[in-house]
Amino acid sequence: MSEPDVIKPEMMKSYIWLQTADGSIQQVEQEVAIFCPFICHEIHAGMGSSKTYPISLPARVNPVTLSLILDYCRFHQVPGRSNKERKSFDEKFIRMDTNRLCELTSAADSLQLKPLVDLTSRALARMIEGKTPEEIRETFHIPDDLTEEEKLEPLKNITDDPRIRLLNRLYARKRKELKEKEKLKNVEVEAEHVDDRSVDELLSFINGENGDSKEVKTAKNKKKNRRRKEQQKNAPPVCANSNTSSSPSNGTKESNGVSSVSRDDRVKGHCLPNISELLKLQDSEDDRFALDDDFDDCDIGDGIDPEIKEQIDREVEDFARRLNSDWPERVQELLSLGQERRPSLYSINGNGCSTKRSNASGLEKHEK
Amino acid sequence: MVYSLPEEVLEHVFSFITSDKDRNAVSLVCKSWYEIERWCRRKVFVGNCYAVSPGIMIRRFPELRAVELKGKPHFADFNLVPDGWGGYACSWIDEMSRAYPWLEEIRLKRMVVSDESLELISTAFKNFKVLVLSSCEGFSTDGLSAIASNCRNLKELDLRESEVMDLSGRWLSHFPDTFTSLESLNISCLGSEVSFSALERLVARSPNLKTLRLNRAVPLGKLSTLLHQAPQLVELGTGAYSSGIRSDVYTGLSKAFLGCKELKGLSGFWDADPSYLPALYSVCSRLTTLNLSYSTIRSPDITKVIGQCPNLQRLWVLDHIEDSGLNALALSCKNLQELRVFPSDLYAADVNVTLTEQGLVSVSQGCPKLQSVLYFCHQMSNSALITIAKNRPNLTCFRLCIIEPRTPDYLTHEPLDIGFGAIVKHCKNLNRLSLSGLLTDRVFEYIGTHAKKLEMLSIAFAGDSDLGLHHVLSGCESLKKLEIRDCPFGDTALLANVAKLATMRSLWMSSCAVSIGACKILSQKMPMLNVEVIDENGSLDSRLDSCLVEKLYVYRTVAGPRSDMPGYIWTMDRESANRI
Repeated sequence: MSEPDVIKPEMMKSYIWLQTADGSIQQVEQEVAIFCPFICHEIHAGMGSSKTYPISLPARVNPVTLSLILDYCRFHQVPGRSNKERKSFDEKFIRMDTNRLCELTSAADSLQLKPLVDLTSRALARMIEGKTPEEIRETFHIPDDLTEEEKLEPLKNITDDPRIRLLNRLYARKRKELKEKEKLKNVEVEAEHVDDRSVDELLSFINGENGDSKEVKTAKNKKKNRRRKEQQKNAPPVCANSNTSSSPSNGTKESNGVSSVSRDDRVKGHCLPNISELLKLQDSEDDRFALDDDFDDCDIGDGIDPEIKEQIDREVEDFARRLNSDWPERVQELLSLGQERRPSLYSINGNGCSTKRSNASGLEKHEK
Repeated sequence: MVYSLPEEVLEHVFSFITSDKDRNAVSLVCKSWYEIERWCRRKVFVGNCYAVSPGIMIRRFPELRAVELKGKPHFADFNLVPDGWGGYACSWIDEMSRAYPWLEEIRLKRMVVSDESLELISTAFKNFKVLVLSSCEGFSTDGLSAIASNCRNLKELDLRESEVMDLSGRWLSHFPDTFTSLESLNISCLGSEVSFSALERLVARSPNLKTLRLNRAVPLGKLSTLLHQAPQLVELGTGAYSSGIRSDVYTGLSKAFLGCKELKGLSGFWDADPSYLPALYSVCSRLTTLNLSYSTIRSPDITKVIGQCPNLQRLWVLDHIEDSGLNALALSCKNLQELRVFPSDLYAADVNVTLTEQGLVSVSQGCPKLQSVLYFCHQMSNSALITIAKNRPNLTCFRLCIIEPRTPDYLTHEPLDIGFGAIVKHCKNLNRLSLSGLLTDRVFEYIGTHAKKLEMLSIAFAGDSDLGLHHVLSGCESLKKLEIRDCPFGDTALLANVAKLATMRSLWMSSCAVSIGACKILSQKMPMLNVEVIDENGSLDSRLDSCLVEKLYVYRTVAGPRSDMPGYIWTMDRESANRI
């Protein structure tokens, strides 16, 4: 605001002169300006009483932020205001864009105006809380200059792992298939037949039946060729079936006070991990609520890159070799579930309930 | 246009940011924020003391005032972790004593602390204020004497649930007469009697005392004396709460409680005699926390107390409360946020308390702010769980412990899969879950699909195959701690999800189907994990790769393998070291 140099006699207020780093000078009511400790000190040192000897404000104060600061001072220096009023003013006052708020915080700090520094700092803190580093960078327009090592970021989440995706898709595909077949068939007993197809054939059975088989065939052929080329070098020792040991009973019966209670371990046998149960389909009709079927249609068309699939197959075989277990057999088992088990699983009894309990054939469950 | 704040301004802004998560985020924004933040960080929480070394912490945060550490895995509470496992606080306290002369607060959970360490704390840190030892062990009342004698500015001494070698009660008398800064004292886990006159004088000269948790040995007759000295108390843990038939004790107690206008929390109540309960009725209307889990009072008496506590937010109680008491709770306590119901007798042949799933359903219906549940019971049904889930989608912690393993839905005899499925589907902010009852792989499919904010999961006697574990590891994005016992989970799921383990704090698997071979592969593939196999049955070196491990504890670390492992823990490094 530009006031004439002559002070009108009827105006009892005194004014002081402030100069910002860009050279511009303004006149402010003294009672407002002395709210800032920095300005107060300068006045006591004799500065600011005329246009020729303005108070030089620190570089971090520009005309815009000065104006804001003076608004703040003008309001708060009035003694009669209630806490409620002051709080209300403050809440409205700090509503401004991030950049402006940063400038204001910095300016208030250089003028040693502690209440405003606290107000703006708290506002900035609230803008930081609850955000991820990336979101904070966006808010404050800060470039990311930390290296990956410096960040020690947790590994990307597992849904990116192609192996997991393949497994999920296989299970989902199979489940969907079985659902469809259930709808079409009546109660009948199909002739059981032993499924002795290879993993490749099973994969193509699943993938090929519902559409695009080109991609899969290519992958399959590649895989077959590679298998012939590869030699298994280190034949691992034969292992016993690792699934038959029973768990040692190790739960003790002490309880240290009521807040730490040990579980009573009375389980005698160890439940065989029953792979054939892996894909059992529960009666979805009986679910009392509908779960979103997240394992939805996965179009094989937009499926997995053959190269990645190869890599997965290689890794899977690698695991199998090292674990001394027959991975292809396991996959075969779980994928062939539908063929062997379907009759008993899907025989519909009176109330359409899951027939898991009535299915005794071959499903050994060691239960307490 | 980017405006960059000067360092001192940023530091001031950071001073208003206190949560660990936010501080961690701040430190990852850019190089300069990382630097500023680490110099002004004042408190640090280390969830696994073996994930990082004291040296690394000290190098990064040179100006700490408060450190919190956790040691043994949670299943140590159920006696699944053998003695001598580790969690020693010694090296931490040694190094901190040199690096942080101005350290004020140390909080330890499930760690082994020695008297020497306590003595060091009492002398090395001139401004030491807060010592919390939660479920710790390895020290005696001698160590406490050192703390009492030397910590001139001590504010808080909390020994909650620690195992203390109780040599005598005289340690309390070591607080000098000039010591007046005490604000919080919790000695509830101590067995021996402390000198009552010393206690009384201590309380009398501590005008800021807000929390006082006595041990059982403090007789009820003396409680009123203490209360008269400290009417400003906010949290009180009584000693034994019975005194025969003494009307003078009763009157004195009643009068004393009347004078405690700030009292908000009550605990203790060993051997509680119901006839003394009305003495505390005058404080009930202000009570927000009530812990009756050490008292065996019955449902009608519990109900009478609860009925007078409309502001109750947290209730810990034994199953003596029964369904009737829980129904009353649901009617009276609309501000209830946390409920823990502990079993009174795990091994009783017949169940003589009528606590069923109905009690929990009532509370879920009647208490709109209920967020955290720990519930021990004998029966549960899917329909009850579904009702609870629909009533309380705001649940953040749900721990259900059906006492008998593999108990099915008692109405339908089905597994409880869909019940727990409903919990994870409706309670979108669930961060802690404990499962029990008969459960198949299906429940894990539900959990993997829906429990996206789940951070801690406890599983026992559940599932059918690796697929269950696979669902959890591949689906639960926020998972930090996974503890499993007696489940048929094995190598396949574990090895298919190795990358996930590096994003978690820890994984515990005991009595499952994991082989030594898989542990070796895991170790090789993931150098940032410590893979520790616990086997108390003898040397693992001679066993075949296909043999199953007894217990497995896997955790991520930047400190490398630990050097304080007992003989019964096997790691890859140890194995290769033996081979050389």
